Amino acid sequence: MKFEYLVDGAVQAVSLEKKDGVWTVSAAGGTLEAEILRVSDNEIVLFTGGEARRLFLARDGDRLLVSAAGREFVISSARADSGRFHKGDDRSPDGGLEVRSPMPGKVIKLCAAEGDECRKNQTLVIVEAMKMENEVQAGLEGVVKKIHVAVGDLVDAEKTLVEIEPKAA
Amino acid sequence: MSFKKILVANRGEIAVRVIRACREMGIRTVAVYSECDRRSLHVLLADEAVSIGPAPAVDSYLRMDRIIEAARSTGAEAVHPGYGFLAENAAFARACADAGLVFIGPNADALELVGDKVRARRTMEKAGVPIIPGMSAVPSDKAEFAAAARKLGYPVIVKASAGGGGKGMRIVHEEKDLLAAVEAGMREAGSAFGDSSVYLEKYIAEPRHVEFQVLADGHGNVVHLFERECSIQRRHQKIVEESPSPALNPVLRSKMGETAKRAMLAAGYTNAGTVEFLLDADGRFYFMEVNARLQVEHPVTELVTGVDLVRQQILAAAGDKLAFDQDDLRQRGQAIECRIYAEDPSRNFLPSAGKVLFLKEPCGPGIRNDSGIYGGWEVPVHYDPILAKLIVWAEDRETACRRMAAALDDYAVLGIRTTIPFLRDVVRHPEFLAGRTTTAFIGKHFAAWSEGGPDEEKTRLALAAAAYADSSGPARGGGPAGPAASERAETPWTSLGGWRIGGPGE
Repeated sequence: MKFEYLVDGAVQAVSLEKKDGVWTVSAAGGTLEAEILRVSDNEIVLFTGGEARRLFLARDGDRLLVSAAGREFVISSARADSGRFHKGDDRSPDGGLEVRSPMPGKVIKLCAAEGDECRKNQTLVIVEAMKMENEVQAGLEGVVKKIHVAVGDLVDAEKTLVEIEPKAA
Repeated sequence: MSFKKILVANRGEIAVRVIRACREMGIRTVAVYSECDRRSLHVLLADEAVSIGPAPAVDSYLRMDRIIEAARSTGAEAVHPGYGFLAENAAFARACADAGLVFIGPNADALELVGDKVRARRTMEKAGVPIIPGMSAVPSDKAEFAAAARKLGYPVIVKASAGGGGKGMRIVHEEKDLLAAVEAGMREAGSAFGDSSVYLEKYIAEPRHVEFQVLADGHGNVVHLFERECSIQRRHQKIVEESPSPALNPVLRSKMGETAKRAMLAAGYTNAGTVEFLLDADGRFYFMEVNARLQVEHPVTELVTGVDLVRQQILAAAGDKLAFDQDDLRQRGQAIECRIYAEDPSRNFLPSAGKVLFLKEPCGPGIRNDSGIYGGWEVPVHYDPILAKLIVWAEDRETACRRMAAALDDYAVLGIRTTIPFLRDVVRHPEFLAGRTTTAFIGKHFAAWSEGGPDEEKTRLALAAAAYADSSGPARGGGPAGPAASERAETPWTSLGGWRIGGPGE
């Protein structure tokens, strides 16, 4: 069986085979052989190279979260993930630039109005979470085309806060 | 005298801690909660719970009137404020007394005195407690700052009179930067505390933060329960604490402990409190401030002394005399605490609210986990990001460091980001292991931290887990490039039934 995943922004090919109760996994530049024990929905143990490696897993939408020996990984299917935005801002479908919230929080201040010109790295919105203020800045120079939120709104991570019309080059 | 019912005016791990102590003492508990905390752990554990308003703290956990009404309507006799929120608010302590409720904390006068940093400094100076050279009053004219700074000698630090948590603080190395720093400090203090007064102190470079836990019973008995070393700080917030401090010897410990008791006596302090000192590289120590509450890091003291501080707070508030004196108290072994915050250390500690999809907490000999969360619970965006505190005890410091490192490796929180990966590296750092901890530690060694280098072996394990999971149950929301269901391999485990991680409709 072949799989393709995205881990830390890099595509990783995985092949998984089972023979005589032993799984052979080729991934990340190497191969491991293991007996795999499913302990619960959230825990498996790989018996490999004489060691028992305990892994914890949780599904979050189309992402799989894995805690492996003190290290946490976010794994998504390479196919499902293509076209997904990962940065705080990116192109909107009509060519504007979307400025997104980096975290869930509450909009506590708008620092620009629609129609305003903005510089690169200018603070547009302040989002607060857990008593910490976070300034959300313009990714480039342009004009504030649309503001999607109001003061007091609760926003999720990746929520579009502002759209910018980039300055014509 | 003893209480039958106590209202806990807080949330999160500290409310849970207080509820546990009450339960052990046979005291019923009343939790209060905001609209977003209906399913929070403290609400589930308390005997009764009262809703006190919308999510923002100003509309709920800071509403004295609603909290006092909740205590009245449930018949609670005393209020435990925890830390933060109303814990150091003298007006709240008075309002409780006016309503016939016992405030489990210091008396209102002492609370007011130690809460005003400038007055507290003056009181301590008079009592012969060493203080950092600095201004004894908030100046009325900005020109006074330059004259004072010249007298103290640079570097100096601008501090907010009503402050705490690093708000309003500025370090100034040269006179040309002084006025701008004073003005910035005043602005920040004004917006954080509603009081823009600031003053100057001599800045001690790379000090240790060493504090002493004190208990006073209101019958004239005062004891200290030794020190906590809290030098490992990020942005002036403590993240790792321990007791004993690697920097103290028995002579210095006893001298500082006696000074802490003298400070509390001078302030007329009652109940549990902490005297914070700065300790310089030459073993000179200076009074910083009194924390008039139970502290976040109180468990390290509990583990090395065997004294339950919350229980002692309740007994003292009920009017009991201390059942032990200074000579009964011993420091045994080593305790270390790590604070687990809902912050993403790989993204500059950005707050990370959201649903805890999976939680596995460490346990074992010498491991204590004071937590306010559970798997399936949603961490709200409205409050302080502290989720839990992991505390270990061992016979000696080296063993305690190893125990902490292993316990952190055993801690799995999936769904939100936490400071656990960062802490794993802190407690394994050679300077930490050597006990060379100062307040400059994080800035020096962890300024450009990222979570390890590429680790192919662990990546392979994680990918194996993902592929195995996807081979035995299809992923939701667009599956991987895997085989069709009919081609899926049978395993003894998957053949027991369709296995999926999580499940639909969660």
